[in-house]
Amino acid sequence: MIELIHITKRFDHTVAVDDVSLKIDGGEFCCLVGTSGCGKSTTLKMINRLIEHSEGEIHIDQKPIRSFREDVLRRRIGYAIQSTGLFPHWTVARNIGLVPRLLKWPKSRIDTRVEELMSLLGLSMADYADKYPDQLSGGQAQRVGVARALAADPDILLMDEPFGALDPITRETLQLELRDLQARLGKTIVFVTHDMDEALRLADRLVVMHEGRIVQQGHPLQLLREPANDFVASLLGGEDRGLKEAALLPVSERMVPLGAGGVARERIDQTASLREALSVMLWRRVERLAVVDDDDIPIGELNFRRLVGARVND
Amino acid sequence: MALGLLAWWSLPVASSAPNRIVPGDAVYAWQVAGPAMAVLASLPMALAGWVARQPDPGWRSLGLVLLALLGLPLWLVLCVHQLVDPQLPQARLGIGAGSWCTLFVLLLALLDLRTRQRWPAGLYIACLCVPLVVTALCLPLGLDRLALWQEYRGRADDFWLAVGEHLLLVGATVALSLALGAALALLMRRLPALQRAGFGVLNFMQTIPSLALFGLLLGPLAWAAQRFPWLDQLGISGIGWAPALVALVTYSLLPMVRNTFVALEGVDRGVIEAARGMGMSRGQMFWQVRLPLALPVLLEGVRITTVQAIGLTAVAALIGAGGLGRFIFQGLGQAAMDLVLLGALPILVMAMLADGVLGNLSRRLGRGVTR
Repeated sequence: MIELIHITKRFDHTVAVDDVSLKIDGGEFCCLVGTSGCGKSTTLKMINRLIEHSEGEIHIDQKPIRSFREDVLRRRIGYAIQSTGLFPHWTVARNIGLVPRLLKWPKSRIDTRVEELMSLLGLSMADYADKYPDQLSGGQAQRVGVARALAADPDILLMDEPFGALDPITRETLQLELRDLQARLGKTIVFVTHDMDEALRLADRLVVMHEGRIVQQGHPLQLLREPANDFVASLLGGEDRGLKEAALLPVSERMVPLGAGGVARERIDQTASLREALSVMLWRRVERLAVVDDDDIPIGELNFRRLVGARVND
Repeated sequence: MALGLLAWWSLPVASSAPNRIVPGDAVYAWQVAGPAMAVLASLPMALAGWVARQPDPGWRSLGLVLLALLGLPLWLVLCVHQLVDPQLPQARLGIGAGSWCTLFVLLLALLDLRTRQRWPAGLYIACLCVPLVVTALCLPLGLDRLALWQEYRGRADDFWLAVGEHLLLVGATVALSLALGAALALLMRRLPALQRAGFGVLNFMQTIPSLALFGLLLGPLAWAAQRFPWLDQLGISGIGWAPALVALVTYSLLPMVRNTFVALEGVDRGVIEAARGMGMSRGQMFWQVRLPLALPVLLEGVRITTVQAIGLTAVAALIGAGGLGRFIFQGLGQAAMDLVLLGALPILVMAMLADGVLGNLSRRLGRGVTR
C-alpha cells in the first residue's frame, strides 16, 4: 500500500505538486493522468525518491519512505520508463538481471529468474537473451524494460509513460498483456500516462491531476459518468465519453436471453466491449446481434435499445 | 594508378651521390637500365589500374598491387647496381620523388581496396608486412647503399635511443594528460561554474604557438630550478624534458578534457535515470554504466592526444628534450635531407600506428554501445 499524505513539491519558486493526498491499495492499478506539466510524473518519481518531496509524508506499507536508504528503497520498487533506459552495452539477459545482481542474489537464482521473466513476457530465451538493446524493436525493448522492473519481484511497480513511444498496435498488445500480468501477479502499479484511452483501459483507480493538484479520483466509470468539473469532462473525451464508457463495458452486461425472433445473423463475442458491438451494428447496418461464447455458440442477444442502455419501459 | 605511372615517368626515381655532402644527381626511370626495363617495372601498376576498372577486381587487383609493392625494393636494388659506384664506400642512393609517389599511390590503392572489399584486417597487415620483409632481405643485396640506411648505420645506437626518448615523452604526456584531464573533467561535471572558465583557459592555451610555449616555459622553470635545488637534481630546468613535458601536457589537455567531458555528459539521460531508479549507487552507476558507455569517445580523445603528442614531441627537440626531432633539426642544419627523413619517417609510422590501433580499439568498444 502506498500513501501520499499532503505532499508538496517545490522547484525553486514554482510549485510542481501542491498538497496531494492519495492512497493506493495493494494490488491496485492506479493511473495518474493529466495534461503535460500537471505534476503527474513528479508525483510518481517522489515515490521512489528520484525526486525528494518538499513537504508531507509518503508511506509504503505504513513506513515513511525516508526511513529507508535511497537505493535500498528503489531496489524494492520496480521502475519502467518511456525510453526503456536499457543499458546499451549489456545483453537483454544481463539487463533483466540488474536488480537481482544489485541485491547480490546467487548466480543460479538470477539465471532462473531471468528465464522465468523472459517467458512471462513472451521473449524466447534462445532468440533474445544474448541480443543487445539496439537489436530489438520498440515493443520488444519495452517488454525487456518491464521484465527488468519485475526482476526482483517487487510489490510495487512505477511506470512512467512506458508505452508512449510505441505504435498503436504494439501499444494495445502491451497494455492488454500488462493488465493480464497485473491480474495474475497482484502487483500494485502506479502508471503515468497522458493517453486517456490507455488510462481508461488499465486503471482500477484513475487520478486526474491539474496544475499540481488532484482534481478527481475514482473508478474510470465513475469519473466518466460523474466528472467533477468541465476540465475532467473534456480531458476524458467530452462528447466522446459515451463511446469511452461503452469501451469499458462488456457485451455480457447488456445481453438479453435468446428471444423468439430467432438467432440474429451477425455475431459478437460475449467478452467484446459494447463499443465494438456498436461498431459492428453500424458497419453491418443491423439492430440485433447474436452474442456467442468462446465456442461460437449463441448464448443471448444484444439489441440496439439495450446497447444504448435505454430503460426497458421507455 | 594513372597518377602513380605519371609520377614514375615524370619524376626522378632516385638520385646518386658519391657522399652525403654533395647533392645527388637526379635519375629518371628510363635512365636506370634503359626504357625497356622501366616499362617492365611499371607493368604491374598499369595492370592493376586496368583491372580496377573491371567489374570484379577483388583478388586480381590485390595481387597486382602486392606485386608492385614487392617490385619496389627489387627495383631499388637494380638502381643501386646500375648507379652507385661500388669503389666508393660513401657512395649512396637517394630514393627519389618518383619512387616515393609510387609507394604512396600503392598504399593508397591498398587502403582503397580495404574500404571496398571486406576482407579480414589481418590480410592487409600481411600485405604491408611482406614488402617490408622483402626490403629487409634485400639489404645485403645492395639496399645498404640507400642513403637512408647509410644515415641509420652511422648512428644506429643514437637512433634507437631517440626512438626510446620519443616514445617515453609521448607516453608520459598521454598518461599525465589522461590523469589530469579526467580529473579536470570530473571536477567540471561537479562544478558547472568551472566549465566555462576551464574550457576558456584550455582553448587559449591551444592557440599559443608551440615554439612560443616552449620558450615561455624557459624562464619560470629555470627560476624554479635555481630556487629549489632538489628540482635541479631531478633534472628539471629551463631546457630539457621538463619544459617539453609541461608544454606537451598543456596542449594535450584540451582534447583530453573535452572528450572526457563530452563522453561522460553524452550518456543517454534515460539510461542514467533508469540506473538511478533501479537502485544503483553512485559508484555502481559510474563504473558500470557511465564509464563503459563513455569509453569509446574517451578513447577517441586519447587517440587525438597521442597522435598530436607524437608530432609535437618532434618540435620539443629544439629545447633539448631529445627524441626523433633531433635528427630532423640536425638534418635541416646540415642540409642532409636523408637525415631529416630518418627522423621524420619513424614519427610518421608511430603516428599512423597509434591512430590505427587506438581508433580500432575505440570502434571495437563502441560496437556494443552504438550499433
